[in-house]
Amino acid sequence: MTVKRLLNGVGVAPGIVIGPARVIRWELPEVKRSVILPEQVESEIDKLHEALAAVKELLEDLRNRTRQRAGDEESKIFDAQILMLEDPEFLGEVETLIRTNQLSAARAFEFKTLEMQAQWQQSHSHLLRQRVADLTGIQIRVLNRLLDESTAGELTGSHSSSAIVLTHELTPGLTVQLEREQVAGLASVGGAKTAHAAILARSLGIPCVMGLVDGLEKIQDGTTVILDGTHGVVLVDPTPAEIKEAKHNESLRANLQVRLEKVVGQPAETVDGERMTLRGNIDLPEEIEGTVEHGAEGVGLLRTEFLVLGRTSMPSEDEQARFFEFVARRFAPHPVVVRTYDLGGDKFPAAFRTDPESNPFLGWRAIRVCLDHPEFFRTQIRAALRARLEGDVRLMLPMVTQLEEVDCTRDFVAESARALEREGVPAAATLPVGVMIETPAAAILADQLAQESDFLSVGTNDLTQYTLAVDRGNARLAGRFLPHHPAVLHLLVRVRRAAQSAGVEASICGEMASDPLSAFLLIGLGFRVLSVSPPTLPLIRWLVRQVDATVAAEAASAALAASTAADAERVIEEAIAQYVDLELLRAGRLPTIAGAGRLKSFARGSA
Amino acid sequence: MKVERSTVIRNRLGLHARPAAALVKVAGKFSCEISLGKDGNWVNGKSIMGVMTLAAEFGSTVLVRTEGDDAEQAAEALVQILSRELVEQ
Repeated sequence: MTVKRLLNGVGVAPGIVIGPARVIRWELPEVKRSVILPEQVESEIDKLHEALAAVKELLEDLRNRTRQRAGDEESKIFDAQILMLEDPEFLGEVETLIRTNQLSAARAFEFKTLEMQAQWQQSHSHLLRQRVADLTGIQIRVLNRLLDESTAGELTGSHSSSAIVLTHELTPGLTVQLEREQVAGLASVGGAKTAHAAILARSLGIPCVMGLVDGLEKIQDGTTVILDGTHGVVLVDPTPAEIKEAKHNESLRANLQVRLEKVVGQPAETVDGERMTLRGNIDLPEEIEGTVEHGAEGVGLLRTEFLVLGRTSMPSEDEQARFFEFVARRFAPHPVVVRTYDLGGDKFPAAFRTDPESNPFLGWRAIRVCLDHPEFFRTQIRAALRARLEGDVRLMLPMVTQLEEVDCTRDFVAESARALEREGVPAAATLPVGVMIETPAAAILADQLAQESDFLSVGTNDLTQYTLAVDRGNARLAGRFLPHHPAVLHLLVRVRRAAQSAGVEASICGEMASDPLSAFLLIGLGFRVLSVSPPTLPLIRWLVRQVDATVAAEAASAALAASTAADAERVIEEAIAQYVDLELLRAGRLPTIAGAGRLKSFARGSA
Repeated sequence: MKVERSTVIRNRLGLHARPAAALVKVAGKFSCEISLGKDGNWVNGKSIMGVMTLAAEFGSTVLVRTEGDDAEQAAEALVQILSRELVEQ
């Protein structure tokens, strides 16, 4: 039997681990056809209620843990399931089946859930069809309980040492059960909608791979596997040579880790004394503390989509103000750059859901939506003005293509400030408004935009995507998505020069800043402010402290003169190799974090 | 006492799982019998499965029928939830 040994996915939390596989199988247990005797009816009904109570207790526990770890809104997903276990009508029918047809509790419960599922699956409502999974969830749990297989599919079992958990879907229920002691590594087939799973794994330091190409079926529990959360692969049943190599790579990574820990608290200064400012990009509130710990000098990109997504209502001004105030206080006196809602396509809150667009990346999104819905944009602007009393809160506009978009926003800011004053609400009189440079139009107009705004910040992923007309979500085009393409580099220089002559700050808040080779190039191109994904803060800080900015500038000039992205990369690698061991760097290089699917499930991807 | 009211769903996503859960929780607090109807289908308002099965979408009309001591208050409370624009706030 040949089993596919190498499973490819996306690394979302770094580190290499070797250990026994524990495959979580969510399968419907088989219920035997059995009829009970009339005198067994009452005890069968008691068994049903005991099972329901036990599952309810489990779900309540999961709900509470989810609330603590991911927030109230997330925890509500368990409410419907808990209520299903208490549903008087439904349970009444199950009891009737036990009484009148003398079916076992398991059989009766299975019969009614299957009946309900069939009804939902045929529904015209796609939302109801999606809930079938909830129904299946309780069906499996209750049946397992009734059939005395209570721990199947749960992590709470007593399996001893730390295993590498492989699963189809990192459901919120499973994710909150993750504990460092039980789980050495984590891999899942799904991943698109499990934002919290990735973040949780990172914060717990558990190497994690998501989006595995399916191959879990054939893996036996206990088989040795190597999981590489840095490169996003799982290797099943490795040879001794492969284990040796994995250990070598892990030791390189650990070696680098030791070096990174040494620079905590040190300024991000190059060997020739150029001082860099490193900030963090924050997607979710859970990332705030880690960002502070890694010494970020502010937040260069505070995403606000999480406030909206997964909810049916728009967040209130107060809710947003509380969040912005909290972040502002946490990072004061450093700046906190609030990016206004970057929503679009199918990732809209319910209130704005539109018909599918044929080309969502060029569609009605980001600043376009905000300007078309001033009532919704205003709550965000007002919240930011209020929070500015607590720290250096700034506003950044995504996907700008026209100068008018900046002017228009400034009008809203002025008008909102006046309104707040009239209402007697304490708030700042104004706040800095900057442009996120993500489109070729914005980069080409950088001179004018720099005149009209207070800062420029480049979102390199989208700038690359729009400049090269390459959809970065399209796997067939992966080799054509080239952030070091000469066209992109020329636009970057243009932006930096425009900001310099207007006397405003130019920063990078895109993924390029989080990659050591690219960061070196950016230093060489003259950028002094980088906002990076929080887990890469130590790596970039360490890198900055190893290199010489003058040499970086020479390398950047050569890269700019290169005619292909490959040539540009070669030049950069050669220059950086003078300072750091490239093998070491590769071991520590984080996977493309934003590519991990979590942002895809959010708005239109990362910066 | 018997009460019957009619209301239009204002939640953009319709009466999906979470609003249905909120509704059933409130319904469970009343002693009267509660039925919800849409397009001639009637379900028990205290049953989450039933309420979800209605699949009442944005803009659809839902009938609330209550019978019992607190029928009036129950109908009032449920209509309020159903017609709320943003159920989860």
